[in-house]
Amino acid sequence: MKIKKIIAAGLTVSMVTVLAACGSDKEAAPSGASDSNQGTEASPGNSDSAKEAQKSSSGSDVTITFATNVVGEKASALEAACKKFEEETGYTVDFQAPGESYEELMKTRMSANELPDVFTTHGWSVARYSDYLMPVNDLPWASDIDEQIKPVITDAEGNMFVLPVDMDIAGIVYNVSVLEEAQVDPDEIKTWDDFSAACEKIKAAGKTPVHIGGKDNWTIGQFFDWAAPSYYVTDAANSQADALKNGTFDTATWEKVAGLLDSWVKAGYLNEDSLTADYNSDIQTLADGTTAFCFYGNSAVVDARGVNADAKIGMIPIPAASAKDEPSLIAGEDIAVGVWKDSPVKNEATELLNYLARPEVTKGIAEAAGCKTGITTAQSEIGEIGTYLEKYADVETFPYFDREYLPSGMWDVMCATGADILAQKDGAIENAAKTMEQNFNDKYTN
Amino acid sequence: MKKRARAMNVFYIPAIILFSVFVIYPLCKGIFLSFTNWNGYSQTYKIVGISNYTRMLTDNNVHRAFINTIIYGVGSTILQNLLGLGLALLLNQKFHGRAVVRTLVYLPVMIAPLIMGYIMYFFFRFNNGALNDVIAIFGREAVDWLADGNRGVTILTLVNSLQFVGISMVIYLAGLQGIPDMYYEAAAIDGVKAGQKFRYITLPLLMPAINSSVTINLIGGLKLFDIIMALTSGGPGYDTHSLSTLVNRTYFGSENAGYASAIGLVSFILIMELSNIVVKAMEKKEVDL
Amino acid sequence: MAEKKKSGLFRWPVILVILLVYCSPFYILTAISFKPATDLSSCWKFSDSPTLENFQTAIEQGGIFAALLHTLLITFVTVFLLVMVGSLAAYPLARNRSKLNIIIKSFILGIMMVPPLSILVPLYSILVDLGGINQYWGIVMILLTFELPQAIFLYTNFIGSIPAALDEAAAIDGCGPIRTFFYIILPQMKSVTASVIILTGIHCWNDYQFSLYILQSSKMRTVTLAISSFFSQTTSNLNAASAAALLAIFPVCLCFLFLQKYFIKGMVDSAVK
Repeated sequence: MKIKKIIAAGLTVSMVTVLAACGSDKEAAPSGASDSNQGTEASPGNSDSAKEAQKSSSGSDVTITFATNVVGEKASALEAACKKFEEETGYTVDFQAPGESYEELMKTRMSANELPDVFTTHGWSVARYSDYLMPVNDLPWASDIDEQIKPVITDAEGNMFVLPVDMDIAGIVYNVSVLEEAQVDPDEIKTWDDFSAACEKIKAAGKTPVHIGGKDNWTIGQFFDWAAPSYYVTDAANSQADALKNGTFDTATWEKVAGLLDSWVKAGYLNEDSLTADYNSDIQTLADGTTAFCFYGNSAVVDARGVNADAKIGMIPIPAASAKDEPSLIAGEDIAVGVWKDSPVKNEATELLNYLARPEVTKGIAEAAGCKTGITTAQSEIGEIGTYLEKYADVETFPYFDREYLPSGMWDVMCATGADILAQKDGAIENAAKTMEQNFNDKYTN
Repeated sequence: MKKRARAMNVFYIPAIILFSVFVIYPLCKGIFLSFTNWNGYSQTYKIVGISNYTRMLTDNNVHRAFINTIIYGVGSTILQNLLGLGLALLLNQKFHGRAVVRTLVYLPVMIAPLIMGYIMYFFFRFNNGALNDVIAIFGREAVDWLADGNRGVTILTLVNSLQFVGISMVIYLAGLQGIPDMYYEAAAIDGVKAGQKFRYITLPLLMPAINSSVTINLIGGLKLFDIIMALTSGGPGYDTHSLSTLVNRTYFGSENAGYASAIGLVSFILIMELSNIVVKAMEKKEVDL
Repeated sequence: MAEKKKSGLFRWPVILVILLVYCSPFYILTAISFKPATDLSSCWKFSDSPTLENFQTAIEQGGIFAALLHTLLITFVTVFLLVMVGSLAAYPLARNRSKLNIIIKSFILGIMMVPPLSILVPLYSILVDLGGINQYWGIVMILLTFELPQAIFLYTNFIGSIPAALDEAAAIDGCGPIRTFFYIILPQMKSVTASVIILTGIHCWNDYQFSLYILQSSKMRTVTLAISSFFSQTTSNLNAASAAALLAIFPVCLCFLFLQKYFIKGMVDSAVK
């Protein structure tokens, strides 16, 4: 009885407050944003006057918050571009690159409907952020967006929400010397069977065929994003793309995907510490020539070069599941920048976006990232990887599996079930498929 | 005097405002969210009744985290108190370098658990890990220490205990120094053995110290968060999560904010109940002895 | 005499083990900090060609000094407010024996046990409504709230040991409760205040959970945030991160070495009930 009363009281209180919060949302959100723009002395009291000042923006008082998930070289390049933009316009750009916690922070900010004025969407411009972003179809550079990335950033109604500064065209990266030493011809790898055969040779040569740094969790998910399309969607004749989008998840196919990983673990193709190593050690071993393959996009190439400037790193398309199908590549957003649609400094933020779309600016950032530019008016020079990308220019590209075909929130499930397989738990494969299906259904109906 | 007492209640006001705004209100909202299927960021959600609570009953990850939380709490408490008492007895003797030992053992208490976790990763990692380097000297093969969930939990408990054992140590040390020498002198005259001295003089008089040391350690252990994030991120899989880190992962990782709120509330109740039980038991013991 | 010698013999191996266990983390952290990024030798070995490059990276990229400054500011303000609000609330709690007080007491104990994460999101959204995200006052308020129970407890215990007769005497002389508090009680609380400052100060300094969500702007980063972003970056340089960690714990350790007596006293005070 008592508990009921407490719950009832709690519910009433929270209902009232939720309602109150909803009512004040429109007021609160922009004022919150402008507060955060004024440095430390600001109090809620003077935020109104600040808002006024921003509306009649006369240049120098405007502060644009720019949040990004990228770190390291890419972040420095972006920050440098923002600095130049500041010089040109007299606005201030508050550059925020919180690193790993970016996604959590963005979720909390979305829940509060208080977003940065400009932010990068790390692959989720359509699925997660489209409600919060300003469409960019009418901006001058929209028609220059590369055809390869266009489908990835366009929603069902044909709206685009971001400027794809560069794009992530990913296959499996490999260490050229290791493959030579093991006498594996990367061009011969067409199917997963070929890939496994190659792993066997590499293992015999005393190297680690595949390195996974599972401590970071997301590194395990990478495998599924790479392997799942070849079983589910790349083979046009047996594609389950429509079924997935209509809410049907086939567990038998997932068991095959999971089974592939399992067979590698059993055959000893993975590094011994696949559960506790991290992304760093992936890159480290790839660069110093103890590992053959890693399942990352071309940013891994840039990172590996950072560790060992002489490392020769190549890329192959992702093998197909059967000989009847062709290898494929994955295309996704890399640095894609959008403007918050309720931003109090929307015009200025759009200016920043236009500035980033200038060919010379785009080129500089894309080169720092080691990626192709996402707009056709600029071409980045990215050395060896550029030649690989040209070599595979005709290979069909597919979007990241979880972003396109699975409901939001499945990524974590993929990572967790993958860890069980790496740990060789009993019934891990069946469990993986079952857990995936259960979560898929839960989240799909949401 | 009554009026004066009422006037004094004014002093509560700042504290009460803070608590209501930053604890009670969020707590109520959290209770509300635990009955929804909110994903943590969208503007819409549905009320789903108690399904988040029933789901917990069959969720192995929650069970695992529940057990881990108890191990972190109770395990650390036992370890810290035994080690802390041992250290205190050692340091209660007079010898050269005593101050150095005390300083060293207490020093880690100052360091953020997060940073300690990162340092410990250098010890337990597989490649180039400090511990593997040591066992290599003895000709043993390298072990992937954190790859096994059970071992991971043990290591986390151990690291947490060793980092904060200094707290128990100084509490016991103060307790020991508060026991008048004359008791021991009297016992020596009666020819009481060292073990009996400890059992019948030291331990009963140390009871208040034990009481507070246990409470502090238990609450700290049950709330373990930073060090898990730094050392294992809850992995492999879900094997080393505590309820706190599981809430974090469920909320942000698997986008089940409603469910996460439910887990959070249950863990709150668990921590409160468990602490209450222990505190009560300790108080009873104190009276008995 | 014989007994003493025996225990002395036992003692040294034990002490040796303790020293080994407690020195090794610092030793390894130091060893790694001075290693060039390309040196992959065991972390027990100091590099043959030690470098200061990692520290340079930590200072330039990690902004460690700025982070130390931010943390210092936050800790200082929070602790100051804690002393004020905490001692105020503790006074009636220690003096009155009403039903309200019992409720408040158990309520405060309850708050000590709330895992902050379980209420993180509602907490976050209320801060957004108040405009406290990316504001120093936002993090100060939250830390203040969650450290307050500890401060109140310390003060309550202490005030309980000040004879109530003093208050009564003051009341007879016509002092109201406010004046009594400021003139009679407050001046006596120097030592317990030192304990409060030290205990809660460490917590504020080491906070990670709250700062992570409230201080998102990289211009306001605290020490733990700076360190964690260093370690968790996908392209992290562990050696530089170690250097950053070393720089971050150095001031705390130094502070502890000089004020050890007070730190330990603070801990003991908090334990005595």
